[in-house]
Amino acid sequence: MSLKKRFTPGTCFSYVYLTIIAVVAVFPLLWLLVSAFKSSGEMLANPTTILPKEWTLENFKTVLFTLKFTVNIKNSLIVALVTTVIATFISSLAAYGIIRFFPRLGNIMTKILITTYMFPSIMLVIPYAVVMNSLHLTNTRGGLVLVYMSFSVPYAVWMLVGFFKTVPIGIEEAARIDGANRFQVFTRVVIPLVRPGIVSTAIYVFINAWNEFLYALLLVSSSAKTTLSVAVKTLEGADILNWGSMMAASAIVVLPSIIFFILIQNKIAGGLTDGAVK
Amino acid sequence: MISLRKGRTSIQGSSLTRWIFVAPAMLVVICLLIYPLLSTALYSFTNKTMIRKSFSFVGFENYIRILTDPDFWTSFGHSLVWTIFSVIGQVIIGFIGALCLNRIKSPAARSIFRIAAIIPWAFPSIATAMTWKWLFNGIYGFVPEMLQKFGLTDGLIQFFSDPSLVLPALIFINIWFGAPLILVNVYAALQTIPQDQYEAAQIDGASSLQSFRHITLPHIRTVVGLLVVLRTVWVFNNFDLIYMITGGGPAGASSTMPIYIYDTGWTGRLVGRASAASILLLLFLVILCVLYFKVISKWEKEDVK
Repeated sequence: MSLKKRFTPGTCFSYVYLTIIAVVAVFPLLWLLVSAFKSSGEMLANPTTILPKEWTLENFKTVLFTLKFTVNIKNSLIVALVTTVIATFISSLAAYGIIRFFPRLGNIMTKILITTYMFPSIMLVIPYAVVMNSLHLTNTRGGLVLVYMSFSVPYAVWMLVGFFKTVPIGIEEAARIDGANRFQVFTRVVIPLVRPGIVSTAIYVFINAWNEFLYALLLVSSSAKTTLSVAVKTLEGADILNWGSMMAASAIVVLPSIIFFILIQNKIAGGLTDGAVK
Repeated sequence: MISLRKGRTSIQGSSLTRWIFVAPAMLVVICLLIYPLLSTALYSFTNKTMIRKSFSFVGFENYIRILTDPDFWTSFGHSLVWTIFSVIGQVIIGFIGALCLNRIKSPAARSIFRIAAIIPWAFPSIATAMTWKWLFNGIYGFVPEMLQKFGLTDGLIQFFSDPSLVLPALIFINIWFGAPLILVNVYAALQTIPQDQYEAAQIDGASSLQSFRHITLPHIRTVVGLLVVLRTVWVFNNFDLIYMITGGGPAGASSTMPIYIYDTGWTGRLVGRASAASILLLLFLVILCVLYFKVISKWEKEDVK
């Protein structure tokens, strides 16, 4: 392609526009990270210098050891991992079931999923609190995992239906003729074929559970069970708000999410709208 | 896809096994979504509180109390402003971004821009809230300092304590968070348009504006429409960002409907009244979505034609 054709005004505009977007998009992450490595004196003395004069791990030490964030990290990890395993399992079964056995239900299911997506979490949390209280599940990680199914499962089913649609039925019929039962077909033939899709879905479920805030705030009050997001928010309640520790704590929440997101970016783009059973 | 009417193929078997596949997910939907909805609807007609176990039916009293509460209407107004401006901003900025990204030929530049765009989307709400709170901090914040340095403002702007700036600042943050999501998804939809259609149009002498109107737009408008619906619902229901940044303040200047429900149900402990407010919020969204989907299904029919 000739250079002339490559740099039309349209292309120039595109580069300029996207560069501005990229800078605005990335700057807060950069600022978060550099602030986490600055000493509190430097943060307050020079609010607009970007790179720290002296890189320090002081903020991370404070957050992890003085403020005991290791406990909250452990809580968040347990809740997010257990949610991921259970939700992915339930949703894989359901997505396959819908595609293979209930194609008509699939249409209704899509409508149900969109409808439940409308339910405000602030509405759902009221009955959750009431029921969990009577079942003695408030203040437990198990209760939180249970509640997290409410948003993980519908979304995972929605994503997985898109992946399971691509499995040709001929392969399954061949396996059936060879004497495999339905669950063997599912676990030995179908699952391996859609493994990349299942992995992306699982990662997405993990990120959402890791990031969740409202339910963790309102259903868990004992500080030993608090998840990371809520613990970061409670830092604000300290007598002297230290923005360095706040940024270090935020960095600990944000990094896993960003790393995982970049890993599955190709699968997620379009995933929001592809899942619909047409 | 196989149809149930044509009888069973070898892959379909006893009806029991088929149900085992879908039963757990259905249980989740029934217990964790449908049951809570019904019980909220029931509570909305009672005087239930968080403290007492017993409660009695009070008819429409909660609804009347809410609909005559000026704070409710203020919050509803804030919710409308917050949603309309956030969604429009996200869609315009993201949509233009997707068109631009689609024009760029260099694969390296494409993936750099894409990854940059994904970063805000990957931000957990708590990190978004705290980072922007720090960036907009009224004493040591980067943004107010910079604005002052360049002489754009006298003194440091107090984004979150000035009642006239708080909603615009929150909307800006929400656009920062959501525009990339639109960009990446619309870009994915643009990629599915067959290139030969553009080539054919070019041969027929169509201008690029005409190609855009008659090829690009019909191909992606259902995706964009669906994204608008999903974003509208998400933004309208969003509690995290506003709660974490301002808690609805200063003096209710950024209180939206979810914040109003939180204040009623958790701070005020009035479960019945909070339930009634939630039902009103949900009803509003349902009406909105029905209207949206009417438009989208009309588009879909036209596309088939």
